[in-house]
Amino acid sequence: MRKTYSALQDLTRRDALKTGLMGMGAAGALGLPPFFARAADAMVKRIGDGHNENRILVVLELSGGNDGLNTLVPYGDDAYYRQRPTIGIKPEKVLKIDDHFGFNPGLVGFERLYKDGKMAAVHGCGYDNPSFSHFTSMAYWHTAAPNSGEEYGWLGRLADAVKPGGASNYIVNIDATQSLAVRSRDHVPVVFDAPDKFAREGFHSQQPLFQHVAGSNGAANPSRDYLLNIAQSALDASALVRQAWTDYSSPIDYGIVPLDLPKIAALIHADMPTRLYYTTFRNNAFDTHVHQGNLHQRLLTYAADAVAGFMADLERIGRADDVVMLLFSEFGRRVPENTSLGTDHGAAGLMFMIGKPVQGGHYGQLPSLTELDPGDNLIYTTDFRRVYATAINGWLGYEDTHTLLGGDFKPFDVFA
Amino acid sequence: MLFHILLAGLVALLLMPLSPAADAAERIHLGPGPVDWQGDLSPIASSEWSYDRAAHLLERAGFGGTPEDIERLAAMTPEEAVRHLVHYESIDNGHLPPFDESGVHDPGLVPFPPSRPATTQLAKENGEAIGVKVKASGNRRLQPVVNKFFYWLRASMLETRRVSYWWANRMLNTNRPLEEKMALFWHGHFATSEAKVRDYRKMLLQNETFRRHATGNFRDLVVAVAQDPAMLYFLDAGVNIKGAPNENFAREIMELFTMGVGNYSEEDIREAARAFTGWNSDDLIFVVNAAQHDDGTKSFLGNEGSFDGVEVVDLIMAQPVTAEFMAAKLYRYLVRDELSADLNGELAAVLRDNSYEMKPLLETMFLSKDFYSPASMGTHIKSPTELVVSTYKKLGVDDVPGIPDFNLVITALGQELFWPPTVAGWAHGRSWITPGLLLERGNFARAVLFPDIDFIPRDRYQASLMLREVHARIKQGFDITSATLPGYGDGGMMMAESNMMADRDEDFNTRYGSYRGWQMAIERVKPLPRHTARLDLGAMVLEAGLRNTEEVVDYFLERFMRTPLAQPERELLVTFLESELGTSDLKAAETYLEAPLRMLLHLIMSQPEYQLG
Repeated sequence: MRKTYSALQDLTRRDALKTGLMGMGAAGALGLPPFFARAADAMVKRIGDGHNENRILVVLELSGGNDGLNTLVPYGDDAYYRQRPTIGIKPEKVLKIDDHFGFNPGLVGFERLYKDGKMAAVHGCGYDNPSFSHFTSMAYWHTAAPNSGEEYGWLGRLADAVKPGGASNYIVNIDATQSLAVRSRDHVPVVFDAPDKFAREGFHSQQPLFQHVAGSNGAANPSRDYLLNIAQSALDASALVRQAWTDYSSPIDYGIVPLDLPKIAALIHADMPTRLYYTTFRNNAFDTHVHQGNLHQRLLTYAADAVAGFMADLERIGRADDVVMLLFSEFGRRVPENTSLGTDHGAAGLMFMIGKPVQGGHYGQLPSLTELDPGDNLIYTTDFRRVYATAINGWLGYEDTHTLLGGDFKPFDVFA
Repeated sequence: MLFHILLAGLVALLLMPLSPAADAAERIHLGPGPVDWQGDLSPIASSEWSYDRAAHLLERAGFGGTPEDIERLAAMTPEEAVRHLVHYESIDNGHLPPFDESGVHDPGLVPFPPSRPATTQLAKENGEAIGVKVKASGNRRLQPVVNKFFYWLRASMLETRRVSYWWANRMLNTNRPLEEKMALFWHGHFATSEAKVRDYRKMLLQNETFRRHATGNFRDLVVAVAQDPAMLYFLDAGVNIKGAPNENFAREIMELFTMGVGNYSEEDIREAARAFTGWNSDDLIFVVNAAQHDDGTKSFLGNEGSFDGVEVVDLIMAQPVTAEFMAAKLYRYLVRDELSADLNGELAAVLRDNSYEMKPLLETMFLSKDFYSPASMGTHIKSPTELVVSTYKKLGVDDVPGIPDFNLVITALGQELFWPPTVAGWAHGRSWITPGLLLERGNFARAVLFPDIDFIPRDRYQASLMLREVHARIKQGFDITSATLPGYGDGGMMMAESNMMADRDEDFNTRYGSYRGWQMAIERVKPLPRHTARLDLGAMVLEAGLRNTEEVVDYFLERFMRTPLAQPERELLVTFLESELGTSDLKAAETYLEAPLRMLLHLIMSQPEYQLG
């Protein structure tokens, strides 16, 4: 059972009561509907003992600042159309999921996932003193440490906490460059782009030398030591990845831009020991300042096709129960449209958690479309680290999110 | 000047039998200076100058060189060497050809609409777009317009790759290596992408602007970039107009180009955007559209006035943080990743005291003890372009081979020139290396030493299965609708939304347009040359007077690496070469040296240390 929008309103309205109810102990015992009981329950259930070794988290980043309001359109709110007279998506065009929200018409794949109860939409995600720079804000999301100089990524720190000292192939980051999100003290993330090219090419007689990675030569050259670590990681991972890719084929249509999700499906299919996968919709694609309509819809279609394809593929290989995807962007966009048929950098945005284990529905409070900050931005209602905490604790079962995320971020009860 | 005359004679020298064994014996290696040189900007003395320090200078101020190149620098005093590299204006570069245009543009393409839907919309409204009229009657009346739209996307992309290849040859063959090295820096700093600009002419123009201002005055460069047609389009100048400012350029000029994040307010961004209103380009010419320019009073960085864009740039230059930001960024590019606040302050002072003239700063850095300290020498992780160009440079080849394809190589290695990933450019240093990319770097070396024999130029070979299917069916006389239906996704599987949208509008078919656009573009864009590197490593080692496998390994390590390999790894290479040659005696193996030497060099170029310069 998933939350409906009216249930969410109900929840928002009664939010003030929550503390009182929790104080009374068992919300469920009061005969409240199950969704409310879950939301009101301060005690997050432990998943397994400590952490569950089968569970996998896939993080998909939509870079460039995805326009949340034109992704999941609040078509039931007149303020939306007042703020966006030209680029607002008309009620008859949206893919309605309830009497208030409908997906962008390009998001057929998401509509299906939502209606199947596999998609949790978390509203109003942001943080205090938001940065409107792509790169700064993205770094905050990567480190889960806004306005600080944190050196390591949140997934890197998670890996360090769960597997101190490091483990081969624990984090896979499919991209041209390594994301700050996976930067770790103890782990060397496996970063590659094309699996079939993740191999040393060379003659038979050269192979023993390719299998050899030098130790540190004592000279203080941190760049060299870094390169040696990377060389070792490449050696550990490349044969496994290549084999996984060779063994994988899928009849599933991931659409025109599959992102890197078929590669992740291949690795999951091959039972790689990886528990954290990170990939992106690359190149700041969602930075839609001008003529946003067609472009944004197309980008969303690509993303939704790829995600829906990935979920179908997980079903096909029998791993749908083991995988949850977290989807985010570094900020949403400004509420009023600009004069170029686009939108400028904004603040609070949408996050999604997607997968068979997810209890679909709306989470978090809706940000107001009328009470904005002085720069016409949504005022965030959900610290994005609550969603990270949900993934870390609720899904992966690692409990000390306080240390990891540097604060108390209450997980949402997204998992059954 | 002496230096360029010597360089010009280089090719001839390379072909002549030399006796560098004797030269090599005279080469002085001092290694990095003492640890306390770190952070010391005072110049090194002539007595502290050596072959390996000259090699280090050439790596950083250029793309490295052959032993002969390095010896010429080593024979000068450090001041002379640095002056030759920095004050290059009088050095002749007349042997470098201008870009050879294919001739793919026509005036009808100006202005080019922002998207395919915008193009067809325009055609529906006006009866024509991008120089093509809507068909008077009949089926698919907009198809020729759509074909032309895709033609230009493809043609501009292919031509931009030719510009990239042309630039690579400049980097390899220039007599002014620092000029190209800095043009490359500015390309990453003022990152502009063909993906959005979609006009190779503007990308080429911008590249020439970077070269013209490569080591000149930073303030003048920023003004030039703010008025550069590619940048104007890239950061949405066209829609930054009075009463409706667009903040994109105003934000990036401060955040990425001059001051760095956190040194201005959101209000400063809005006010700066007003100052740049009306700035635009008329095709390739910068124009100020007076009617769209906001002449009102602005409040910017604590100043009040009816500022225009140039005045905003000058106010930015007056901020101390601007000199600090730029000095640090230049230092990181040319010297090393880490620098102390003190050192940063000293470097910024040099830039500021010289009114943002960059040559004094460059001379200070290249001559400083800090530049030759252990923290600086051999610690720089090369960018893909540096790796590729310096590899060719050290091999002594005359031009950039067509196989492997230069653009495919740098793309695979993570630095596709003219397509930077974001407006922030490429992240440098450790970001260049991932496990996947480290293997790719070794594979690049193999592709040079043992080139593919089945290479298909993928810039024009249509790798898209979809377009190949369209081609096959069109040939067989299918109608456009049937020819462009995806051949996959059947068998009861759900078809993705994006695949179902392909033939929705009967006035035109996007998929056919994409296919036809490729055909038209391939016909008109000149092909890239497809030759492999012609190498003779056997002659290289014999002419160097080497006698045995140990000497070969040491010679290669010195010639190709700037960071020493550890002793056990050196031993492994000697053993390998001996085993491949069947002897340690070079003379005995004289007639079959080439393949084993290439295998050895491939192994060397696959070492983690080869990535350092």
